[in-house]
Amino acid sequence: MKTMQSLIRLLALLSLGGAPLAHASAEISGPAKVGRSAWLLHFDSDWKNASGLPEKAMLIGLQGLANRTAPRLYITHADDFPWEITGPIAEFYQRKHGVQFTALKTADEALTQFAQYAKGYVVWDPAVMPTMNVAYTIAGLEDAVIVTPALIPLVAKHGLKPIDDLRGRYAGMTDVQIYAEAKGRYWARCSHDKLMLMGGHAGDMRIPGVADWGVRERMFFHDLSANPAQPDEVELEKQFFSEMNPGGFVFGWHSYAKDTEEQHTTLTSTFGLRMEGLQSLPNLSFNCQFSFTPGFRFANQHHVDRATKLVAEKKVYLAFVQSDGIGLGVWTKPGRGRLSLAWSAIPSWLEFSPAALEYFHESATAADYFIGGLSGPSYMYPNHIPAERFDGLMREAVRQMERLDERVFEILDNSAADGNVGNADLTKATVDRYYAAFPNVIGFINGYGPARTRDLRDTRPMISYDYYVDPKRPRDEVTADLNELIALNQKRPYFCMVHVRESNDVNSLVEVIKNLRGPVEVVPVDTFMKLAASNQTYMTRYQDPDDPKHFEGYTR
Amino acid sequence: MILGGLMALGLTAALAANPALTGRWRLDPARSTALDGWHKVDLVVALDGTRVALTYDMLWIRSKVVVTNTVDTAHPVELKNFFRIEQRHMAVYPAKHGITQATAAWIDGGRTLRTEVFTPVEISQGEVLMRMTSEYRVSETGDTLTLIELHSTRNRPLVYVFNKVPTEAAN
Repeated sequence: MKTMQSLIRLLALLSLGGAPLAHASAEISGPAKVGRSAWLLHFDSDWKNASGLPEKAMLIGLQGLANRTAPRLYITHADDFPWEITGPIAEFYQRKHGVQFTALKTADEALTQFAQYAKGYVVWDPAVMPTMNVAYTIAGLEDAVIVTPALIPLVAKHGLKPIDDLRGRYAGMTDVQIYAEAKGRYWARCSHDKLMLMGGHAGDMRIPGVADWGVRERMFFHDLSANPAQPDEVELEKQFFSEMNPGGFVFGWHSYAKDTEEQHTTLTSTFGLRMEGLQSLPNLSFNCQFSFTPGFRFANQHHVDRATKLVAEKKVYLAFVQSDGIGLGVWTKPGRGRLSLAWSAIPSWLEFSPAALEYFHESATAADYFIGGLSGPSYMYPNHIPAERFDGLMREAVRQMERLDERVFEILDNSAADGNVGNADLTKATVDRYYAAFPNVIGFINGYGPARTRDLRDTRPMISYDYYVDPKRPRDEVTADLNELIALNQKRPYFCMVHVRESNDVNSLVEVIKNLRGPVEVVPVDTFMKLAASNQTYMTRYQDPDDPKHFEGYTR
Repeated sequence: MILGGLMALGLTAALAANPALTGRWRLDPARSTALDGWHKVDLVVALDGTRVALTYDMLWIRSKVVVTNTVDTAHPVELKNFFRIEQRHMAVYPAKHGITQATAAWIDGGRTLRTEVFTPVEISQGEVLMRMTSEYRVSETGDTLTLIELHSTRNRPLVYVFNKVPTEAAN
């Protein structure tokens, strides 16, 4: 909390300069009511284990306790934080929900305000990093804050007593031994609807931004691996997954040091569980307690009616989609609105973060269009979802799309890919299931990197991405790539779906489009689908068993 | 004219191979066209009479691909598993069971290897032929190989610069 300049800027944004330092928060339960007090912490960018992490980890856990029964504590982050929306959403709470934030400047001030919601503290050992996760698990169950030894005097000053001390308990043990021991102690009392995968960065830093949510919901925290090269960890994680309730959630993210996003999402999908990233996602314990503002309804900016029939001309039709977590993307960066862009909102935020969804819809420009996905009601790989779980999960996805007024559904299965390249195709059986489960969509999108699953049934196309815009790729090469695709795909109309990776610069894409050759027209995604339904110049194709697969998957 | 062309081709094909091309070469990304989807690219060249074996040793995260295209400067060849350095963020794939027609010649007094291939690729609209003309040029000092690749479908050439990997490091 050293970035005072950022804090001052934020306070100016929120017009909080003269707000009182401490005043009582209204006690409520259920959805938050209009007009309330809350407190605000601002974090800097220091998440190093040896410096900024211990205090932040303590405060995030404290946030989970403080927000158990009411939305009391909100955290904003530095400009370079993965989620760029914490400031704008704080402003939204103030403007639309009448929340009056009071700034807290130090951990001492935060404890003064919120230590009352903790019954004590648990000590974790920075030399044995998994003890941070075990401590968080205990924190949720015992209403404790988590501290390193250096922070004990601070919490003791606020009257907190020791509840547990993990120093020495897990010394010399492997991660799987630690989590197996902790499972025996705590798992039975933890939520079996929600599990916390507190991975992400390894080495000398961690960003446990979503820990408030895990503490509030009494989740078991771990960072077990889904890497087949670590079979003991995989087997223990399978035990957790198999003991979870059907349709349960896995929050957080995989450990960058142990396995891959593809491996972990394949494993959660194999058990029909819903993956909700990331480990850094902040403020869910606060956000979950607000509903939509009175009278608000999602009204997507459709360009065509469901029943509209369009006829494609002899043109090259391009559509652009940004599918990464919407708050991670280019939403707040300059240029949005200059290019027709479809956004994959995070549908589970209907339940966990309604204000964020309302904020996105409220701030959408005429060029922004929302689509459903990814693959289901949460992030999942459909080729691996058990058949008996598929329809139930997709019914929830359909319900989400109806509430969000979305008509195009996006699918991704990177289980056989390697990173964002390789085999991202759907089996015919999976495609059949989607067509049966989503009778009211006007089309499907598949892939992340390029893929080649394509179909057209009745009036509903399934189109894979033909191109992925890597934000680091020079724009003249992006232009040349797209021009080459246009030259290769000589039939007109040619339908080219483009995935815009998070952190791309929209302004630069506008310049790329100016330099494309041929009868090019950029259209919104819903218009694209209607045009693609009129003339199938693309080949019907599914995952070919002979296509290279980087990874085959797991057995349950 | 046709006869003259064939004679010219025969003359260029008959030029002696450039031994400086042989060995292992490692892509220098900073001096090359940006390449998505590959972290590491080695090109290994071996000569055997009129045959030139071009082995691509590629790495992306944990995916390793090692493929050899063997061309012949004496006559055209057909290649069943032709490999091209693809920009993997484009939906352009080798056609399944595709046969690539390849010719090769030593040009510029034998200093440069030129290949021309017609390779079938799979795109969203089906399969099409892509013509690729490639020149492999070794620097005067013998430590740099420049591969210039021109596609019939791309006006902007792809230029890949490789540095020679010392023999002891290559083994």
